[in-house]
Amino acid sequence: MRGTAGLCGAEPSRVSSVELSGAGRCREMRGCEHGAGHGRAEQCGAGQCGAEPSSAVRDSTRVLPQAPRADRRHRRAPLHPGAPRSVPPRGGDGRRRPSGSGSAEDGGAHGAVLLGGGLGAALGGPRLPGGAGHLPALRTRDEGIISKPQQIITHLRKQKYNADYDLSATQSADTLAFVSLLEEKLLPVLIHTFWVDAKNYVEHTRKWYAETIPFPLNFFLPNAMHKRHLERLQLIWGDDYMEDEEKLEKELYREARECLTLLSQRLGSQKFFFGDSPASLDALVFSRLAPLLKAKLPNGKLQQHLKSLQNLCNYCTSILSLYFPWDGGDPLTGVPRAAGTDGSEAEEDPHKRRKQLLSVLVGLVAMLGYAFLSGIVSIQRGSVGPAGRQPITLEEEEEEEEE
Amino acid sequence: MSLVAEAFVTQLAAAEPWPENAALYQQLKEEQILLSDNASSLAVQAFLQMCNLPVRVICRANAEYMSPSGKVPFIHVGNQVVSELGPIVQFVKAKGHSLSDGLDEVQKAEMKAYMELVNNMLLTAELYLQWCDDVTVEEITHPRYGSPYPWPLNRILSYQKQWEVRRKMKAIGWAGKTLEQVLEDVDQCCHALSQRLGTQPYFFNKHPTELDALVFGHLFTILTTQLITDELSEKVKNYSNLTAFCRRIEQQYFEGHDKDSSAIAARSSKRPLLR
Repeated sequence: MRGTAGLCGAEPSRVSSVELSGAGRCREMRGCEHGAGHGRAEQCGAGQCGAEPSSAVRDSTRVLPQAPRADRRHRRAPLHPGAPRSVPPRGGDGRRRPSGSGSAEDGGAHGAVLLGGGLGAALGGPRLPGGAGHLPALRTRDEGIISKPQQIITHLRKQKYNADYDLSATQSADTLAFVSLLEEKLLPVLIHTFWVDAKNYVEHTRKWYAETIPFPLNFFLPNAMHKRHLERLQLIWGDDYMEDEEKLEKELYREARECLTLLSQRLGSQKFFFGDSPASLDALVFSRLAPLLKAKLPNGKLQQHLKSLQNLCNYCTSILSLYFPWDGGDPLTGVPRAAGTDGSEAEEDPHKRRKQLLSVLVGLVAMLGYAFLSGIVSIQRGSVGPAGRQPITLEEEEEEEEE
Repeated sequence: MSLVAEAFVTQLAAAEPWPENAALYQQLKEEQILLSDNASSLAVQAFLQMCNLPVRVICRANAEYMSPSGKVPFIHVGNQVVSELGPIVQFVKAKGHSLSDGLDEVQKAEMKAYMELVNNMLLTAELYLQWCDDVTVEEITHPRYGSPYPWPLNRILSYQKQWEVRRKMKAIGWAGKTLEQVLEDVDQCCHALSQRLGTQPYFFNKHPTELDALVFGHLFTILTTQLITDELSEKVKNYSNLTAFCRRIEQQYFEGHDKDSSAIAARSSKRPLLR
């Protein structure tokens, strides 16, 4: 299933081809809406696509089956051979190996394929029936399309993929609490930073999306999303916050910064929130923090605060390098896209040259043709004569006159 | 408020000791107040009790409109008015009383997280139940909410508030939930709280904190409020350590209080408190 992880941003028209892609094609699709060069589908769900905030853990799904397996294979034997698997049994590994070999046709053990498409559906065109235009969307063999993050997780749990299996009861309770903390304090402010803050929205987010959404949707989809987020924030925060920029900045951003600090304190110097192996809380926290950390925001106060919390930065980068190695752990917005454009430019170059030559030729031919046709210039033998004779005639006349 | 003004206010707050005539305003207890507001109010009362700060409870029909943020309860101390538990806790801290000073950083983080959990799940579930569940709305909420006002104002105000709450539910994604799902969420929340509490007397062992006050406020109100069905209180009753916790706090902080503490009124109300 991991092989299909990069499919977010598949344009709606290409939904059908999405299922076939393996990791190779993932790389080509720079088109993740969050485009932080990740192609990370989970970031699509990171609240920025308007997925419901009340659903607790997002997009951790794709990471989960991979993680315990990778860790455990390297470190220790699976702890509960007989229990519901948080680690798929060794025998099953072959089926679920990351589909670099393009085995994603079967899309994982249960034929689930994770889609990022549905941008067109967001406008109401029901290309993904039942998807309701929300991302991330998981297309399963049996149950159609599931598009609410919470439902995706439930579905995966039914299929016996569970990252929280090893957590104690207190830790599960803590997970719930921290999830609520994130949703209440951090998520609205993140939405504000990316979508409502004027400078960020105009200079960064809107461009980000417009560059990857196909014509002609790129003209009005980002704006529609902007309006939706604005409305949502207005409902959550009430009007007096929205009108008073300063108050909003001070109080709400302060609370968000406090939330980040709290997360940092809770993480301490551990590798993951609950010890050495990741749980769904890690996935959620990562999905919230990583865009904030890596995006190049012009107005980045919250970002600076996050960068000052060293353990959270290391945490994000380590997860990135562990679970998203195809980005090389360096998902700066500019870099992969620059590489992409260079490559495509190089490809197009010969064509470009040829096209230029061709256009010059055509232009020349057209001009000459017009010239001949309208008689400005003509190539008949005789025509040189009259043109040449006239000066001679004049000269003769002059000579005659002189004489 | 600019930074300077806030510093000034904090200074002012810190300068004066807690007066004797501090007042807490909420809606009319018998006829008007709803489940969620009652819970919030009780939480603040419990918190102030735990800090040993005397406060009178005053019931006014228009408490909601008097409040600076539109939410009840709010306290009127000296010449300042502060509403909602969060700001009240900070205000009280500025006056030098704090329950959570003894906690280390990690514990403070956990405390804040759990408070958000309660706000996010329990409070929202209460709001959902009283404003989005049609039966409850018809039979309990509408009659109670507009009761101090004559017709047609009572209907208008109720519908207005209902519309507002429903919009907010939609914004946070709860509009699509069914009652069963909401009750599921409440159950999950109680489970988490129960796990965290374990066998300790309070959430952070020896001494109560604002988290204890908040949890007490909500759980006690749920347990002692009679709604259309008992499903909500049943969910809480499943966890014996939570019910014991509520009883313990009630005995410790509300027993000796003979005025109009809502806890006492609620205790003597195996009579229907909210119908």
